[in-house]
Amino acid sequence: MSLCQNRLQEERKQWRKDHPFGFYARPQKNAQGVLDLKVWECGIPGKANTIWEGGLFKLVVTFPDEYPTKPPKCKFHPPLFHPNVYPSGTVCLSILNEEEAWKPAITIKQILLGVQDLLDDPNPESPAQAEAYNMFKKDRAEYERRIKRVVRENAAP
Amino acid sequence: MDTDDDFMSNVSSEEEDMMPDDSDNDLSGDDDFDFDDEPDPDIDMQQDFGQKKKAAYDITFKVYQPQDIQKQQDDLIKEVNMILDINKEEAAILLRHFRWNKERLIEDYMEKPSQVLEAAGLSESSAEAPRLKSIPGFVCDICCEDEEGLQSFALKCGHRYCVDCYRQYLAQKIVEEGEAARIQCPSDDCNLIIDARSLDLLVTQDLTDRYHKLLNRTYVEDRDSLKWCPAPDCQNVVECGIKKKDLTRIVPTVACLCSMRFCFGCPNEDHQPAPCDLVKKWLKKCADDSETANWISANTKECPKCNSTIEKNGGCNHMTCRKCKHEFCWMCMGLWSEHGTSWYNCNRFEEKSGTEARDAQAKSRVSLERYLHYYNRYANHEQSARLDKEMYLKTEKKMVQLQKESGMSWIEVQYLNSASQALQTCRRTLMWTYAFAFYLARNNLTEIFEDNQKDLEMAVESLSEMFEKPVQELADSKLKVDIMDKTSYCNKRRVILLDDTAQNLAEGRWTFNVEFTNPTPISNTKGSSSRR
Repeated sequence: MSLCQNRLQEERKQWRKDHPFGFYARPQKNAQGVLDLKVWECGIPGKANTIWEGGLFKLVVTFPDEYPTKPPKCKFHPPLFHPNVYPSGTVCLSILNEEEAWKPAITIKQILLGVQDLLDDPNPESPAQAEAYNMFKKDRAEYERRIKRVVRENAAP
Repeated sequence: MDTDDDFMSNVSSEEEDMMPDDSDNDLSGDDDFDFDDEPDPDIDMQQDFGQKKKAAYDITFKVYQPQDIQKQQDDLIKEVNMILDINKEEAAILLRHFRWNKERLIEDYMEKPSQVLEAAGLSESSAEAPRLKSIPGFVCDICCEDEEGLQSFALKCGHRYCVDCYRQYLAQKIVEEGEAARIQCPSDDCNLIIDARSLDLLVTQDLTDRYHKLLNRTYVEDRDSLKWCPAPDCQNVVECGIKKKDLTRIVPTVACLCSMRFCFGCPNEDHQPAPCDLVKKWLKKCADDSETANWISANTKECPKCNSTIEKNGGCNHMTCRKCKHEFCWMCMGLWSEHGTSWYNCNRFEEKSGTEARDAQAKSRVSLERYLHYYNRYANHEQSARLDKEMYLKTEKKMVQLQKESGMSWIEVQYLNSASQALQTCRRTLMWTYAFAFYLARNNLTEIFEDNQKDLEMAVESLSEMFEKPVQELADSKLKVDIMDKTSYCNKRRVILLDDTAQNLAEGRWTFNVEFTNPTPISNTKGSSSRR
């Protein structure tokens, strides 16, 4: 079995054994109803005691054939209002960038926790969408109101 | 490409004092990497210009070949290895971390060894040197393989992965990402750097070769005083002590052994006499479409009523704006109705109604014409310079033909080669004199400059004309003497022009019609595009 498949299977095993509270992560089923290990559907809860609390955000994680040599691609579905999320929904995060901090030993759990951290701690050095970035920089109160609305629209069950 | 010997033999004796004099160019070896503390070699040079009979535009530099670059690194590594009592691989990593500033490395290391080691990505632990092992019960965290007898590897940090995963990781870094000096342990949050010896244990020869090539590259890129020769397939490196702040006063042209002449201060080829900053401005001006705006303002006028832009491409001066139907006179921009009976012949030039519009018009036209004046001449010489290679090949052919037809020997036809070389170099200089002149404010100095420029240009054009003559005529001994004379005259005029410009530049006597942009230090740090 290929390195990619092997590793993903093991990741799935580890995840089912133990995963952080409030998260979910499972491989998608393709059109024929067969599990596709290379595309995972995940949910990231907003951290407690932050404006993101109470939200659950759907993230699609796509693994390339070269995984784990190359990092997976994480995309919020639907695209999320956040300074470091591209209008397409793709997350801009150093550990997800092969030229930056990606290491083959980073697990899915670490990635999802990293994305959760990013929610309430955006990086103004690398804006990915203009709207959220500008509001975050210029009008923090308005930004927080907007986030609360986003949280209501994506409330955890 | 011709060899060094060919290059020198192409140069006529008169030209020799303008060529970089290699024997004088010794930068004193390996000890002075900290150029910041040194007296500025090039400003000093200005003062002993008289005694040394060096031209004002000459700068000190030295060319290294690949083996010299390797030896420099090896020597530094060996030295640090002996002084600090750490192994060579680690010494190399430390030196790279300190951008090969040996003094600072030793000083810092003596003061706080553990912090220095950690910052450079080295482990303090004196554990045995890493080697391949197979450990019972081992599971690789990357591929999750747990086969019996699986070979694995870990740096001193102990993050252990199977050999296959390690290899794949290293191949990705070295081949795909071109990384070598800062390949970290594959574990998340571990900053330990993989050393050359561990790498040798893990990867195949071709990867090791590329790894070392990349390390050499970072060595040259890390040192501000080194620069690769930009000629295709040339692997030489030029060392020069020129610093960013000197660039307003000196144009640091260096010549590689492969005969490539290039600027040490910017990424362009030789651009004497124009300083780097003006070259940058000029190239930008020529490249971007700011001239479109210039064209618009020179060739169009605005309707005095609705401000629509109008280009007059024929017809009489009675304009009717298509948009607002305003009627006005193209000449004076005043109301057409005021023109009375003197239709089609505006004699109301003194009228105030159109004066301002005319003034703005005239100004922009003058500035466009001025630019075009310099640009056309620049472009003309550039084109000729671009034909360099063709011209050189043509010369070769001519020389062979000439030897056949007139029975002259090889050495007797070399004058054509010298002539071709002179034409190429002089044209290149001329081209940049026009960019330089565009930015010069008028004063007495510019007149001298323009005289020099005119002399050189006339000499080059007449040499060029002689050079283009058919082979039968070239065999004529009188023409040969004329060409040789003209060649040496061109070279002399070029030296005079460059020397004069460089001297005035060094002494800050030119006045420019633009401000020099403050030199920004070259930095290799990529703008980080995401969060750390």
